[in-house]
Amino acid sequence: MNRRDFFKLLGIGGAATLTGCSSQTPERLIPYLVPVEEIIPGQATWYATVCRECPAGCGMLVKTLEGRAVKVEGNPDHPVNRGRLCARGQASLQGLYNPDRIRQPLLKDASGQFKPLSWHDAEEWLAIRLKELRAQRREIVWLTPHLTGALDQLIDRWLQAFGSKRRLRYEPFAYEAIKVANKLLFGLEAVPTCDLQSSQLIFSFGSDFLETWISPVMYSREFAAMRAYEAGRMGRFIFIGPRRSLTAANADRWVSVPPGSEGMIAAGMVRVIIAEGLWRGVPKGELDRIKGLVDRYTPYLVSQATGITPQDLEALARAFAEADPGLALGGGAAESGRYATATVAAVNLLNYVTGNIGRTIRFGPLSSLSRLSPHRELATLIQAMNDGEISALFFSEVNPVFSLPRSAGFEQAMDNVPLIVSCGSFMDETTAKATLVLPTHTPLETWGDDESWEGLYGLMQPAMEPVFETKPLGDLLLSLAKRSSDSQAAAFTEESFYEVLRNRWRELHRRVRPETEFETFWSEALARGGVFQETHPRRISLNLGGLAKAFQWLQTLGRPDNLILLLYPSINHFDGRGANRPWLQELPDPLTQLTWDSWLEIHPEDAQRLAISEGDLLKVRSPYEEIELPAHLSTGVRQGTVAAPIGQGHTAYGRYADPDDLNANGFGEKRRGGNPFALLPVEPDGGSRGLRLAAPVTLTNTGMKYPLASVSGSVRQHNRGIAQAISLAELGSGEPELDTRHLQLDTRQMYPPHEHPVHRWGMAIDLNACTGCSACVVACYAENNIPVVGKEQLARGREMSWIRIERFEEGPVDRPGTRFIPMLCQHCDNAPCEPVCPVYATLHNSEGLNIQVYNRCVGTRYCSNNCPYKVRRFNWFTYPWPEPLHLQLNPDVTVRESGVMEKCTFCVQRITAGKAKAKDEGRPVRDGEIVPACAQTCPTSAIVFGDLKDPTSTVSRLSHNPRRYRVLEHLNTQPAITYLKKIIPDSEQ
Amino acid sequence: MADYKLTYGKVNRDLLKTMEAPGRTWYILLAIAIALVALGGFAFSRQIRYGMGVWGLTHPTMWAIDITNFVFWVGIAHSGTLISAVLFLFRVRWRASIYRAAEAVTVFALMTAALFPIIHLGRPWYVYWLLPYPQVGGLWPNFRSPLIWDVFAVLTYMLVSMVFFFTGLVPDLAVVRDQSRGWRRRLYGFLAQGWQGTDRQWRHYTSAYLFLAALATPLVISVHSVVSWDFAMSMVPGWHSTIFAPYFVAGAIHSGLAMVITLLIPLRRTFRLDLYLTQTHLENLAKLIVLTGLIVGYSYATEYFIAWYSANSFEWETFRYRALGDYAWGFWIMIIFNSLIPLLFFVKKIRTSTPWLLTISLLINVGMWFERFIIIVTSLARDYDPYTWGLYRPTWVDLSITAGSFGWFFLWFLLFAKLLPVVSIVEVKEQLPPPVIGEVRNPPTPHLQKGGTGGFDEGKGREKDVDP
Repeated sequence: MNRRDFFKLLGIGGAATLTGCSSQTPERLIPYLVPVEEIIPGQATWYATVCRECPAGCGMLVKTLEGRAVKVEGNPDHPVNRGRLCARGQASLQGLYNPDRIRQPLLKDASGQFKPLSWHDAEEWLAIRLKELRAQRREIVWLTPHLTGALDQLIDRWLQAFGSKRRLRYEPFAYEAIKVANKLLFGLEAVPTCDLQSSQLIFSFGSDFLETWISPVMYSREFAAMRAYEAGRMGRFIFIGPRRSLTAANADRWVSVPPGSEGMIAAGMVRVIIAEGLWRGVPKGELDRIKGLVDRYTPYLVSQATGITPQDLEALARAFAEADPGLALGGGAAESGRYATATVAAVNLLNYVTGNIGRTIRFGPLSSLSRLSPHRELATLIQAMNDGEISALFFSEVNPVFSLPRSAGFEQAMDNVPLIVSCGSFMDETTAKATLVLPTHTPLETWGDDESWEGLYGLMQPAMEPVFETKPLGDLLLSLAKRSSDSQAAAFTEESFYEVLRNRWRELHRRVRPETEFETFWSEALARGGVFQETHPRRISLNLGGLAKAFQWLQTLGRPDNLILLLYPSINHFDGRGANRPWLQELPDPLTQLTWDSWLEIHPEDAQRLAISEGDLLKVRSPYEEIELPAHLSTGVRQGTVAAPIGQGHTAYGRYADPDDLNANGFGEKRRGGNPFALLPVEPDGGSRGLRLAAPVTLTNTGMKYPLASVSGSVRQHNRGIAQAISLAELGSGEPELDTRHLQLDTRQMYPPHEHPVHRWGMAIDLNACTGCSACVVACYAENNIPVVGKEQLARGREMSWIRIERFEEGPVDRPGTRFIPMLCQHCDNAPCEPVCPVYATLHNSEGLNIQVYNRCVGTRYCSNNCPYKVRRFNWFTYPWPEPLHLQLNPDVTVRESGVMEKCTFCVQRITAGKAKAKDEGRPVRDGEIVPACAQTCPTSAIVFGDLKDPTSTVSRLSHNPRRYRVLEHLNTQPAITYLKKIIPDSEQ
Repeated sequence: MADYKLTYGKVNRDLLKTMEAPGRTWYILLAIAIALVALGGFAFSRQIRYGMGVWGLTHPTMWAIDITNFVFWVGIAHSGTLISAVLFLFRVRWRASIYRAAEAVTVFALMTAALFPIIHLGRPWYVYWLLPYPQVGGLWPNFRSPLIWDVFAVLTYMLVSMVFFFTGLVPDLAVVRDQSRGWRRRLYGFLAQGWQGTDRQWRHYTSAYLFLAALATPLVISVHSVVSWDFAMSMVPGWHSTIFAPYFVAGAIHSGLAMVITLLIPLRRTFRLDLYLTQTHLENLAKLIVLTGLIVGYSYATEYFIAWYSANSFEWETFRYRALGDYAWGFWIMIIFNSLIPLLFFVKKIRTSTPWLLTISLLINVGMWFERFIIIVTSLARDYDPYTWGLYRPTWVDLSITAGSFGWFFLWFLLFAKLLPVVSIVEVKEQLPPPVIGEVRNPPTPHLQKGGTGGFDEGKGREKDVDP
């Protein structure tokens, strides 16, 4: 944020509020939000806001060019994500520009069809209804997602004004087990801070903290810091659970246990720790009580129930006790079975007896997820709806019809509510049931604030003028209140939601920084993206009574006859809300490498027993519902367990999520992956009464083959050293020997070597830091105008991604380790693609870039054939950007047409801009100043870009790291990308 | 046999009879050929309209049957030059009756082959960028690229073969001119370039023919060597190999000879040319096929040996995959049809039996097409990075354009069969005793069926076509 940007931010306050409520269609070429004189064409303006793609609340900067948002990046000042975003965050622009956004108010007529109407008519219509309801003192309910700050308060106030107070903050993943277990053990119903970074050893009992759990970007960063190799040591990580999730794939060891038995392992470890006297900082009295509680979890019993050997359990316990500090995490979606609360209680206890509570688990700052409504409130609401107690249901951006078990009966209960109003941006399964649909702004178009953790007040501001004729929810509420009666108008004196927000921040100002002017405070907060305060942890003590209560639910889980289905939140689609973003549909799931679908992961041996093969369409039947899912054979699930990602199977969520959309599918048949939420039991988890994400299922093979679109060729490396690893011991023993098997190179050249007079751009990628999260892939799509090709083309292998995350399996076939490697153009110094091009469409430039001249390319595709890394992408067609998705196109990057080759450019537009800026300021380019989109967003900073000519640059330093290697180095391509080997524990070798 | 029954007049009558008004079969065949061309043209129009994606090509197999067809047709083009130029220089007499058809095969195969580098481009309308033409920006093609070498090699070969074909035709065209009336007379008159058969003209003709033969001969080697370098100069395992040039040249001649047999047998039958195209000719071609088949088989074996001997795991995996992987069926077609089945020609009975000759030559054509397919597709489908391994599956466009190329080739050949003398009238006559008025004392030994004896009788007995 420089001075110029700061002044721009000062300017937009008034301008944005004026344009914010206007209902004119933005048809001008440059939709000015900022006064004309401040716009410099081609010069980006950045707005700080908060990402609302999941409840984590990462800070975000929106890059706008000529008044249009073209790219989002993490806000470096925001403590949650420090400038990084995940794949879903990167795709938030496709929410803003989604072609399936609702463009005007819709009212359902007698025939059940939505008819468009004007904003004035819609609001008048609703105001009359509200007036009636108020007169009759009928109950109104508001259902929102995780919401904090001014809007949250306004909704409560609004409900109060209408004489109701039933208000739910509904998220399918509500961390109820964590909250209830903490309530029982420590008297605090809260989601605490987990300090991964300072831990020496992490045990995750099913928490997928690198993907979807609480705050994945933050945890990824901390995890990478904890795993960083220094002086012969690095933090270790062990994952315990029934499924090898992405998080588990990043662990040193995946301990496969039957679903629901994670708690027993934790309890068994506690028993070993106490028995061997390895505990730390536990008062004597408590220790005896704890001992009494865990006494039944003998290594033998745990071994019987979970299949891990008693020796192994003891070794795990000792390792955990030795770690100072360690950290045990529990309460992930993947293990929210019947014993979820007891499992978290056992995990908490494990942390407690090793003295980690207060060190790596801190009750402060608490996550605002603590404030989510418990599932039982929703159950009560459904009951009340069925009983006809609810007269009006208002909701915004929640989709309970999709994300609740079908047997919960939410959809049927909606039939008993006379007035249902949806205030959201998209049509979805729940909105389809509404009487009135009032389209609201997306988070990128609105004012707002967000308090994801205590003390972190993020401020949201509109990054651009609304794309469609929509309204911000806050303004809509004010306007409705004023229209419905005069007394309401008096209660809501604010002109707009902007004023509501500022009033709330005035309070905050008085509390945190009364010494400055409010306007200064406000502008600074706008520029920084919020106000971030330190919060000190609370002191807590163990409640032994609660502990005993929590533990009574921890039973041995008998081996069920049925397969157990585990649902897990997809890293691409989260709870299903990402399914209408084409980038996220196109992005391969990091582990299965499948796209555009959902699937059922089944162990090959189970599959053999049930005569199921890859791609067979299965009927998955739980006691509650039946859906169809194609089979995907994977050793990543335990035998007896099957797993399915959450997120697909929409029926009314726009063209990209729609299973019937043949354009997106292309196989001439509808997409078959059903909505697995439907299979879930309605009975909640025993302890927390929260939603259970597991159900017993039976599988029937329909005998039909369903085409799954995988982007992966071979899962094994065939000993080709693509993604290499080094053992900790080998690394510790000094300079390890480079693999010189193929390195007797004859480097004589017929042509003179390339000269790089000023710069030679290069990259270093640390495979020990890369978690495979694929944020870089989506960032690259966004930055470089990479088209989405759809499922059929993708199944043909025609995806266009310039950077891909290759996933390989290493080691034994039945229990492989996972390796990830980001693969992109290596910008070889001796590039095989260059000499074969007959027309010089690809050539080497003076800064070491292998450049592609689209205009010159005739499309022989020889370059791709000759590229050993196969990173070149050919435009098989001219791919469409359905309006208004085309507004997101980066004007600094050419949109390519059919018949030309393309590939990674190292974000040459950013290099040019960086050099121009340095030249303007009369100085050389600084190291770290030019950052390609992939490196910019990498949550673990695995990708480093810079100048190899500068010996002091980070990338130069890293390219001399003892872990360095280059992919297929023996081919003498002399790549500009150096990879650093993944470090694996010695046992894996 | 029938030597003495052949006179200049009979030769004229017999050979010009092939140019009489065509029968129904010819029209049906022509319609099929045109239909295939139209199908291919329609498929190509889809490619232009929507993009290269209508093909089955993909990442990593960016080339497949487009380039297979290119190499296949360039290969077919090799027999013509071999038979007409190389055998001419070696004074192989039996070439006289077959070289015209073989040359036609060359020209038409090249006309077909040359389409594929254009068709396979992502933006075919910019194909002229591959030519070194003066241009304001001073941009030249990349002379390091084997594709540019290809452009030069194929264009040169096409130009030389066309000129060679035409030169050999001139005296025959004059015969046709003399025998026809109306517009035909004017057309053939124009094509005959004022040929009168004077001494001077014969002297020029024979030396031009000799020089062109000498020019065309090295091209037989160079063109397919250059085509093979499209692959050999790359670094793809399975392509990057020094044996490729001789291996491809042998393969090209192998397929070309097979194609000549395939075409001569129906031609002989249809036009009743048994007197001119005898079993001996076909047998000689079959003998050559045994030779090229052995070379090709040796090349296959050498490739495997080197892949194993080099201990290069990438190379070895490619060759293992060829024999045992997804396209193994194509590999075994290639091995059996190209190097095992031709060995049957060692048996005299088989190489002198028309049905056997036709069957085996067809199988070789199929096998040689698959050889190129296997080399191209299996190498690309499994190169260095296992993550990108992928399969190629043709779509209707790939197949239609392939079918269209056959239609295109046969369309030209059918037209040739009716519009030009399919057997060289002049060279056949050259083999006969000159027509003299009066008694023939020492009739010269006719060469027509013996082949390979005697020298080249320059201009002998060519004063005038005299019809006795």
